[in-house]
Amino acid sequence: MEQLQVTDLQVEFGGLRAVDGLSFSVQEGEILCLLGPNGAGKSTTLDLICGKTQPTAGSIQLNGVEISQMLEFRRARLGIGRKFQVPSVYKNLTVDENLSVARSRRPGMWSALTRLSLTDARESAAILDRVHLGAKRAELAGNLSHGETQWLEIAMLIAQDSKLILMDEPTAGMTIQETERTAKIFRSLSDSHTLIVVEHDMSFVRTVADRIIVMNRGAMLAEGSIEEIEANEDVKTAYLGH
Amino acid sequence: MSSKFQYDLVALVIFALVVAFGVPAVMNYDGFELNTFARYLALAIVSMALSLSWGTAGLLNLGQAATFGMGSYAMAMHLKLRASDGLPDFMAWNNVETLPWVWVPFESLTFTLLAGLLVPAFIGGLIAIFMFRARIAGVFVAIITLAFLVAFQLLFINQQGHTGGQNGLTGLAQMSLFGWIVDPYSMGFYNLVAGCLVVALAFGVYLTHSKFGLILRAIREDADRARFFGYNVANYQTLVFCISAALAGWAGMLYTLVLEFASPTYMSVSFSLAIVIWCAVGGRESVIAAAFGAIVVNMLEGRLSDVFVEGWHLILGVIFVLVVMFMPRGIYGLLSESLQKLRGIGRPRDHRDAETFPNT
Ligand SMILES: Nc1ncnc2c1ncn2[C@@H]1O[C@H](COP(=O)(O)OP(=O)(O)OP(=O)(O)O)[C@@H](O)[C@H]1O
Ligand SMILES: [Mg+2]
Repeated sequence: MEQLQVTDLQVEFGGLRAVDGLSFSVQEGEILCLLGPNGAGKSTTLDLICGKTQPTAGSIQLNGVEISQMLEFRRARLGIGRKFQVPSVYKNLTVDENLSVARSRRPGMWSALTRLSLTDARESAAILDRVHLGAKRAELAGNLSHGETQWLEIAMLIAQDSKLILMDEPTAGMTIQETERTAKIFRSLSDSHTLIVVEHDMSFVRTVADRIIVMNRGAMLAEGSIEEIEANEDVKTAYLGH
Repeated sequence: MSSKFQYDLVALVIFALVVAFGVPAVMNYDGFELNTFARYLALAIVSMALSLSWGTAGLLNLGQAATFGMGSYAMAMHLKLRASDGLPDFMAWNNVETLPWVWVPFESLTFTLLAGLLVPAFIGGLIAIFMFRARIAGVFVAIITLAFLVAFQLLFINQQGHTGGQNGLTGLAQMSLFGWIVDPYSMGFYNLVAGCLVVALAFGVYLTHSKFGLILRAIREDADRARFFGYNVANYQTLVFCISAALAGWAGMLYTLVLEFASPTYMSVSFSLAIVIWCAVGGRESVIAAAFGAIVVNMLEGRLSDVFVEGWHLILGVIFVLVVMFMPRGIYGLLSESLQKLRGIGRPRDHRDAETFPNT
């Protein structure tokens, strides 16, 4: 079933069309990788889906519901989670507290008033072991290394447990081993989640992607399996000639 | 339960014991001294209320004095009615011949107590909804609340026939609570105020350690990130504003009982700024520290303003500047940092050190 349907999406920043007539759909349980040279509009596409940016035209439907005009928190409640390109965790909060904030099944105030701050982190403690942060639970997130910060944000998205997870360059700054571990986690996530992943690391893409979309100048350049993409002439010129 | 929560609970118990037993003993149970200290305790409540919105949520409310004033006038209206035979004296002097309808329900103590909490909460909530739905943040919150305070005080003073104007409400009766005539110079009254403060602090400690408090801290650091996790940021900010306003109203009611009059100076800009200073000196992150800050600064004022009648405000200003420059997290920050050093954790300093005022 189609989980996400994007149609003729467009956004303009002072004359610049960062996304220009983009259409694609994502199936439930799929991992879609979004590739493209710098400035192609990949992050902006994710921004449009999660509500960080408002489109100037086009539609975005999640399970058949039009979401392109909804506020961010409503989209999150409908099941969209976002990891940002610049790791975006709460530096003044501990790892556990970050996880607790992320675990937002019941985002209402009444539930927040009747729970202690770390209750939700306790319930999702196993996630931290999975990303090897189990020993740093009481550490302030601001004291983590860059790689650990990436892990923490991934852990937060797992805790948030959204149906559709948007990952912007999740392995940037990670070692090869860490990247491999991330790939494993993503594969296991796809059992019950749909993922859109923006990545530059081709070996990572090769491992996780069910399907690939290549973007260039805000529009779709190519779509298909990894083999199809690697054989595509347009893609080669876009990457070499930009 | 986190270790921070345990520390706060221990601190709360110690604080409660000192205030309930230590202070009266040191004061030799002297009625006049107890009344003075009860005044500090009432002010401690408004300071801890500010720490909830400012320290936890990063919303610097400079209109705190307005909500404090609402509580204090609610109580004063009730006591004025009890002291007058029908029409309060100042109304007659201002050619107001019948009791204005707003005054009528204040005959009832129950209504008065509820109004003292709910009117500030409601008005605070109105301003909050307007600000936070529009995603106003940082210094603009301070400017809007300050503007509201100034307008509110002006309006209040202008309605002389209804509010007593510049003179405030004086010549009040004593409150009668379930048949107990509350004498502000008695030990019983001191215990009442101390009890209110401890209850308010217990509530504040719980709130800051609940998930609600955690989400507020998250919002303070990065409101957008919280939205992408599904939190309705405006609602959270509005609720903490309401809670803070209700606590300020509660403090205002007690303040009127202590001083036995209500004055429009309770709604002045300088009073609002003083609350900010108490809160900053104690440490705005912790409700207990903010309460402590109010007590310490007011005790200092009690001692020093006799000596430096004219210069006290200057001294207060200098204290504030020094605190902002050298201990941005207040006494609380100083203590918790030394504690961490003692335990040899050797953690780098907290990231929020540098930021005293919200910058977004
Ligand atoms: N808020 C904004 N205001 C103005 N221009 C913007 C804004 N956001 C993005 N852009 C522009 O839109 C274009 C697409 O940016 P985007 O961040 O989506 O690229 P990207 O594909 O994610 O690139 P990268 O691989 O470098 O992350 C760029 O030219 C960028 O400068
Ligand atoms: Mg990008």
